[in-house]
Amino acid sequence: MTRTELNTPPTPSRAQRMRALLRAMFSTSLDLSASRMRLAALGFLALYGVIAIKLVYLGFKPEAATTRRAAAEAVAASRPDLLDRNGEVLASDVKVMSVFAEPRRIIDKDEATELLTAALPGLDSRELRERLGSRKGFVWVKREVTPHQRDEVFHLGLPGVGLIAENKRVYPNGPIGAHVLGFANVDNQGIAGIEKYIDGQGLADLHGAGFGATPEELKPISLSLDIRATHALRDELEKGVAHFKAKAGAAAIMDVNTGEVIALASLPDYDPNKPTEALDPMHINRMNVGVYEMGSTFKALTIAMALDSGKVNLNSRLDARGVLSFGRFKIHDYHAQNRALTVPEVFTYSSNVGTARMAMGQGVERHKAFLRKMGQLTRMRTELPESAEPIVPKNWGELNTMTIAFGHGLAVAPLQAMMAVGALMNGGYLMTPTFIKRGEAEAKDGAERVIRPETSEAMRYLMRLNAEIGTARKVNIAGYFVGGKTGTAEKVVNGHYSKTKLFNTFMAVAPADNPKYLFLTIMDEPQGLPETGGYATAAYNAGHVTGEIVERVGPILGLAPRFEPPHQPFPLLAKLGYGYANVPARGGGGH
Amino acid sequence: MLRFLNIVAIVVLVGSAVYAYSIKYQTSYRAEQITKTKIEIRQERDAIAVLRAEWAYMTRPERIQQLSDAYLPGMKQVDVTQVVTAQSLPERSPRVDSIGQKLDSLGLSMPATPPVSGGASTTTPKAQAQERRKP
Repeated sequence: MTRTELNTPPTPSRAQRMRALLRAMFSTSLDLSASRMRLAALGFLALYGVIAIKLVYLGFKPEAATTRRAAAEAVAASRPDLLDRNGEVLASDVKVMSVFAEPRRIIDKDEATELLTAALPGLDSRELRERLGSRKGFVWVKREVTPHQRDEVFHLGLPGVGLIAENKRVYPNGPIGAHVLGFANVDNQGIAGIEKYIDGQGLADLHGAGFGATPEELKPISLSLDIRATHALRDELEKGVAHFKAKAGAAAIMDVNTGEVIALASLPDYDPNKPTEALDPMHINRMNVGVYEMGSTFKALTIAMALDSGKVNLNSRLDARGVLSFGRFKIHDYHAQNRALTVPEVFTYSSNVGTARMAMGQGVERHKAFLRKMGQLTRMRTELPESAEPIVPKNWGELNTMTIAFGHGLAVAPLQAMMAVGALMNGGYLMTPTFIKRGEAEAKDGAERVIRPETSEAMRYLMRLNAEIGTARKVNIAGYFVGGKTGTAEKVVNGHYSKTKLFNTFMAVAPADNPKYLFLTIMDEPQGLPETGGYATAAYNAGHVTGEIVERVGPILGLAPRFEPPHQPFPLLAKLGYGYANVPARGGGGH
Repeated sequence: MLRFLNIVAIVVLVGSAVYAYSIKYQTSYRAEQITKTKIEIRQERDAIAVLRAEWAYMTRPERIQQLSDAYLPGMKQVDVTQVVTAQSLPERSPRVDSIGQKLDSLGLSMPATPPVSGGASTTTPKAQAQERRKP
């Protein structure tokens, strides 16, 4: 067919017109096919365009929440294992089955309720019926069922009821280290202790963003605790609390060179596998959450301040005659000597008058500044989210300085006092205690030097002397060269210091020449016993318990016993002319 | 020529289709295997976690102490005097073959050198017995 033919005016005949049209449609002539192809291309383009637009639309449309997704959001996420410093498991995840339901897919809700309550005793049928009647896509029926219950639910074969594996946190050691570990709730979120700390370190954000971290992605976290030492410590403390009929007690061991807490126990305690027990206010962590007047252990801080200032040295004498009066207040000595005492004597006789005078020699402002530098006036923050603000007198006058000098009138967390005494022992580095394993270099990096090394050595000498001839003789375990300090604080009852209700503390350091571990035991209202002559002061109970702890924990922690006394335990003091510090002391002293 | 090319093209087409199908089939088979293995790994890992937790539970110091109190009545807490350093151990005495000496004094000693072949001392007693049984 040619162009001329086509261009001729069409004949009016209908059949002819049809034929021409058909011919034109099926014509394969090249000049026509170009436009036709364009038409076809346009058609396909439109078709693909529609598909593309639909794809983009689907891509932007929020995905309908599927059951799987809802379940993934609801199930307990996995948490990293917690290990002790030797790699023993402290907390771990195990898989348990939980029963869930999709109410929209349940056909007979009453039947489902009936069968489920029969298979899972302890479910409230009315409440379950309500939950199944809701319009939600996903509801829990029961979390953490036993393997037997799991099988029963499985065999019910109810449509819309399913089983899903969840993580459950277990604490194999029960109450040992419970206050440090804290616990996680049924959704495996950290609620207290290190568990909460981990969540704060980004784990919660990760879960929140939908990255359900798989167990292999989570590296186990090594804590500073030694589970064996912690058990031994808790066991001895438990015996002590029962023996001396104390209301409560707590003990801790800290590595003075790294600030790591090696062991911590606070009695009464709880089993983190039963988190409801933790809510009892009696079960608080007394080391970190309770604040107490630390009694005479605070004298170590006062003496260190005086020695560090250079105004007082080991040979200085302080007037400790009689009673120190200030207005209508009178400061007594428990082991009154009624004479001028040297600094070591003030420490070993635990003279309130002597330390009060020492603090007054420094003045209120310097006393305050020193305690602030030692971290005793502000809240101490460790990894544990639970902490307590120290109770500092509002109007700090001279009388406050005098009483705080011997540990009355300022209440701090015992672990906070431990941090300060640790700095007095380790050569003068103040390190915030940590519950995460770390090395010495790392610890020294963030530590601030607060006293001179000579002062630290003098304090170690005083602690050692006190264990040899002073009030801390209970802790003088042969072979460990222990130093110690007692602290007996009278508790405030109805606004007055009580003579009978005591709060006792005991600090010990081992070995005193090359300090490694600092021990602290506190006891709340221990009673005097016939074998202690009715006395309830710290040396008899907290001191006794600390001695037992040192003896038992020493071999566990690898402290090497030495049976010849160290040749020259305090070289710096010898250089300064206090040669007598290196001679073992003999003779009696106070209690 | 053209026909031959067409035939070749068809054969190649069919061949490639078969090959593609087999590859696809293998892929999905492998993928299935991987999923299966992954599930197995997860199950094993869960089992290990349970066992580790159980081990920690069974070896918790509290329980070990109870067991030792119950079944090791003669055991006591380690005393500091029981801990010694390596240096404080006595020097090792020179090696004395006391059994050999006793045998000598009883006149029962065997000849020090092996009787026949030099390699006999390196063989096991069983081998030696077999050696002896040989004619």
